[in-house]
Amino acid sequence: MNAMALVARREISVRGRTKGYRYGLLVTAVLVAVLAALPKLLGGASDYTVGLAGPQADRLQAVLAAQAAHGTDLSIKVKRYADEAAARKAVAGGDVEAAVVDNATVISKTVVDQGLSVVLDTVHRMVATEENLTSAGLDPAKVGQAQQVRPMTEVTLNGSGEDATVRSGIAMIIVIILFMLLIQVCTWVAMGVVEEKSSRIVEILLTVVRPWQLLAGKTIGIGVLGLSQLVVIAGVGLAAAQITGAVPRLPDGTYGLVAGVVVWFLLGYAFYAAMFAAIASLVSRQEELSGVLTPATMLMMAAYLVGFVAVQSPDGTLTHVLSIVPPFSAMVMPVRSAVIEVPLWETALAMGLMVVAATAVLLIGGRIYQRAVLRTGARVRWREALASAS
Amino acid sequence: MLEVDGLRKRYGDTVALDGVSLTVRAGEMFGFVGANGAGKTTTMRIVMGVLSADAGEVRWRGGKAGFETRRRFGYMPEERGLYAKMRVAEQIEYFGKLGGMSAEAAQGSAGALIERLGLAERRGDDVDSLSLGNQQRVQLAVALIHEPEVLILDEPFSGLDPIAVDALAGVLTERTAAGVPVVFSSHQLDLVERLCDSVGIIKAGRMVAGGTVAELRARESRKRLRIVVTGAEPGWADRLPGEIVAKTDRPPDGQGHGSERYEEVILTPADDQEALRLAAQAGRVQHFGWQEPSLAEIFREVVA
Ligand SMILES: Nc1ncnc2c1ncn2[C@@H]1O[C@H](COP(=O)(O)OP(=O)(O)O)[C@@H](O)[C@H]1O
Ligand SMILES: [Mg+2]
Repeated sequence: MNAMALVARREISVRGRTKGYRYGLLVTAVLVAVLAALPKLLGGASDYTVGLAGPQADRLQAVLAAQAAHGTDLSIKVKRYADEAAARKAVAGGDVEAAVVDNATVISKTVVDQGLSVVLDTVHRMVATEENLTSAGLDPAKVGQAQQVRPMTEVTLNGSGEDATVRSGIAMIIVIILFMLLIQVCTWVAMGVVEEKSSRIVEILLTVVRPWQLLAGKTIGIGVLGLSQLVVIAGVGLAAAQITGAVPRLPDGTYGLVAGVVVWFLLGYAFYAAMFAAIASLVSRQEELSGVLTPATMLMMAAYLVGFVAVQSPDGTLTHVLSIVPPFSAMVMPVRSAVIEVPLWETALAMGLMVVAATAVLLIGGRIYQRAVLRTGARVRWREALASAS
Repeated sequence: MLEVDGLRKRYGDTVALDGVSLTVRAGEMFGFVGANGAGKTTTMRIVMGVLSADAGEVRWRGGKAGFETRRRFGYMPEERGLYAKMRVAEQIEYFGKLGGMSAEAAQGSAGALIERLGLAERRGDDVDSLSLGNQQRVQLAVALIHEPEVLILDEPFSGLDPIAVDALAGVLTERTAAGVPVVFSSHQLDLVERLCDSVGIIKAGRMVAGGTVAELRARESRKRLRIVVTGAEPGWADRLPGEIVAKTDRPPDGQGHGSERYEEVILTPADDQEALRLAAQAGRVQHFGWQEPSLAEIFREVVA
């Protein structure tokens, strides 16, 4: 097998079997599942049982059933009680969330959930109006017909209203995940480079492997681990959101969006990993690492913040421009694409530029690495590394 | 044949190597000795290609050694390095595969080395849970795994217990018997003297002596006579022609010479035959011969 593949396989098997990686993956998966289900969990129950008592109970039950079938995602069961006292007891005992007595009083332990309250109120009005009209001499059948009103058609200018919320939610999650994942795996690359340099194992490695093979193998191996993490996150998140019904229907193009995020992750990873590796090769000890990495981390952080801005204002000048400029594009463009329709040419341009930038960083970073990785002792200065790289 | 030809290397103002040349034939064990900072490590790193020389070249079997040639060399650097969180067998096999072996071949070769170096019980343990001596054995296995054509070992014996020293010496001897040239540096000169077919002494970046131990000895030993005389008058030795290097009237432990006065002289003679005549006149000559200096003595003399 060729050397680069061997190096990559070592990274995957040795790092992939550490407790840190496995637990990390598990915790992330659980966290994502919880996050995805959270709206549903926080939103409280949407299954209710309502008690009915009094002469209007039959009618109320019929209208309630018709109403619940319309539009709302509430499911309402009904229990009948002989009188107010029985209904009260049922509420107090927790058998029902609320009880409507004589279509005049609604009884509950505390305030009725808003969704349920709206439905009960509507039903109460309809039945009361019906009664009033009938007692005024109108034909009950005609009254019934008159009550049949078709719900309003919703028209929102930025797609459907529900979609817009879901979309910015997804965008927010995308930028957070991209940032966390990129910084994590790029830090692994940097630490791996220093590990080999500080332990001096690089001196043996480089007698059998060329520097670019070592660097590329390491980057690819860790990239595979990062990618599998991303796939787990996306898979678990989408599945959890749908199973729990937190998001009743994913917006159109969600799968395309996820594919786009994967591509952007890979491009961003190529860029930042090469940068982190080159910087890491300048130092000989892990303790020096975070210091030298600061500028690169800041760059990533800046892209992250712009990505956050883009969730709210996907078409602002700043976010618009930076969604095309590398390396910001890697975090800003997927966010924009999640929130609005981005013209294809913009995406293509942004990706093209990012490919060019990543290639440039890979080439320069690879050369710096090659020259600096065997030099121990004092930190290699940038100017030296760059001068000897050319 | 491994040839190192005219290596030069400077670090800023420090001249680390000032034209180092040496030759190691197939199947030869070459001991590379010199004081700290003399340039051994620098030479070996250049041979392995992890450092570039300012001038000079390294040839193997007559051709200039490039990356592909050096891949078939085995190397143990002075600063040891292993992956701390990788299992012993796995790590050794990994280097075998990097060195071009198939997975099965690497596994077989690693297993044999692990047995040979006494690591069998630790084969599944992470390297950082091993004692330093055992880590050193793993390091050796890493250098040996891919059955290298040439072995370059920088102070391989330092830090090993006597049993491990014997195990390593055995492995190295085996490799030279298979025709592999072995170069190792060491400060344990008795070991070098025992194991090596030839020795090179480096001082301040220059080779100051080289050849087989016998050759070095022959060159040096012309100069020193060891004379033991009993029953001579004190002061007789002052008449000897040449320079007295050492003199003692205390016999070595356990060698009784009765009541006769004992005297031992180490002499750099101006005229050895005259010295013999004078010694015979002075008393009973117990010993008269060219002194066989140990490698350590030769080394001190050459490097001084
Ligand atoms: N990286 C380096 N930078 C500066 N000087 C060095 C470096 N490496 C070695 N030297 C110098 O080169 C000389 C030879 O060192 P070295 O080859 O390590 O000697 P040895 O292995 O024989 O003890 C010493 O004077 C040492 O200080
Ligand atoms: Mg040394």
